[in-house]
Amino acid sequence: MTAVHPPTSVLFALLADARLPTGGHTQSAGLEPALLAGLAVADVPGYIGGRLATVTRTEAAVAVVARHVVLGDPDERVAGLRAVWQAWAARTPAPALRETSQRLGRGYLRLAHRLWGAHPAVVALDAAVVAERTRPSAERPAGPVGRSDRGQPPRPLVLGVVGACVGLDARQVAQLVGYDDVQTIASATLKLAPVDPADATGWVVAAAPTVEAMAARVAHLTDPDDIPASGAPLLEEWAQQHVRRTERLFSA
Amino acid sequence: MPDHTHDHQPAPAPGQPHDHAHDHAHAHAHAHDDAVAQARGHIAAPTRSLRLGVAGPVGTGKSSLIALVCRELSGELALGVITNDIYTDEDARFLRSAGVLDPERIRAVETGACPHTAIRDDVTANLLAVEDLEEDFAPLDVVLVESGGDNLTATFSPALVDAQIFVLDVAGGGDVARKGGPGIGRADLLVVNKTDLAPYVGVDVPQMVADATTARDGRPVLALSRHDAASVEALKDWVRVMLAAHRAGAHVPQDPGPMAPHFHADEDHPAGGILHSHA
Repeated sequence: MTAVHPPTSVLFALLADARLPTGGHTQSAGLEPALLAGLAVADVPGYIGGRLATVTRTEAAVAVVARHVVLGDPDERVAGLRAVWQAWAARTPAPALRETSQRLGRGYLRLAHRLWGAHPAVVALDAAVVAERTRPSAERPAGPVGRSDRGQPPRPLVLGVVGACVGLDARQVAQLVGYDDVQTIASATLKLAPVDPADATGWVVAAAPTVEAMAARVAHLTDPDDIPASGAPLLEEWAQQHVRRTERLFSA
Repeated sequence: MPDHTHDHQPAPAPGQPHDHAHDHAHAHAHAHDDAVAQARGHIAAPTRSLRLGVAGPVGTGKSSLIALVCRELSGELALGVITNDIYTDEDARFLRSAGVLDPERIRAVETGACPHTAIRDDVTANLLAVEDLEEDFAPLDVVLVESGGDNLTATFSPALVDAQIFVLDVAGGGDVARKGGPGIGRADLLVVNKTDLAPYVGVDVPQMVADATTARDGRPVLALSRHDAASVEALKDWVRVMLAAHRAGAHVPQDPGPMAPHFHADEDHPAGGILHSHA
């Protein structure tokens, strides 16, 4: 179980499958608040591209570097994961986006404990979680305290660890983050607007080269400091608005 | 799961000697130190409540039943509530406004427009919410999980709840109990709700209960009205007995059975909706 397999397509497909039990069906990757703010359905492909150039690129880079550190020097894994975690937090200022990512990260972590619990990468992540939770509050960045501050690892951090467990290479990990974001948007559109499912699937096909290019640009990263800080303030604003909505189909 | 009482000591600091309940489904946890185990999906959480699901069609009184349980039992049991709504947090707000439980102990889970997925195929969001409640208000005795109102075939996965109540009401028609299905046939308790309305809707309650009992091979059926004190006492007793069985390890969560293929109405869809199954 602890051996790293050669790059695998089958387990890549498993992790990219919406049927993976991690709570992903509650998500629209920000599309629901975007549509409610006036985004036209015809502009959803542009929305997909906008995310791939900004927040999704950052997430993919976080996953890539997390994978790198848990496959490296055993003595540096925990500190490395904490550095990646803090790099993610520094690049994800909106509380709504943080909380969503941390909730999804918990879902993946729950699955990782059941399927790869003895893998050194998962053990290192658990130790990083303990360390982050017990970090003196004075060291923590100022921000809202409460349910969003549970010391839960964000989704891309856990995805990088899971990628290491199943033997994905860096590029696959980045592709996984990109593909999942695009497919989440496309499938959420079907519940939010009158769209032919084949058309929505066509958006995913059309975005594939962009996903590949984005993955190629971040796959070489190994240093948390090099993770791109490509935020999208409008996405953050929409995400914050969605938190306060009382009628919504998707959590975020 | 071991018995527990309300005079529990606070959970020891990580690394301090203590004994805590390890979930045997996570037997690998023994390989790591206690601090790591504490981080592991709350497997070393101070307490593990009885997780009690409440399912049934829209409008049969699931939220009202939960409000009733909270009003009647919050004095003797530590309770928490998770609601599942398809489009709003209406149920959570209703329960908070009912004033029967600390509003902080009532939390809503959003189901991404698919309430049966959230209680059956992918229970992740609900499990996380239950674990958060158990951690924040430890020790809890019972966490009630209300499903989003759906059709007759939606039941909880035993991976999410230890026991489940399926709720029908007399106003839905006296023949519904005969129609069977996994919830009616095999939930741990079937409630026939709003019996006080029976005279107004022309339903013979004893006949409906008899039909239900037949459909359930003798499993318990409770004719309930919140205005009928004896029926309320019977509900309270059922919860107490189930909790005692859960604590004693005598109750094994049962799966009422998978969903049948069902229809999602969608006025924008050419066929008026989509037929699908969750096999």
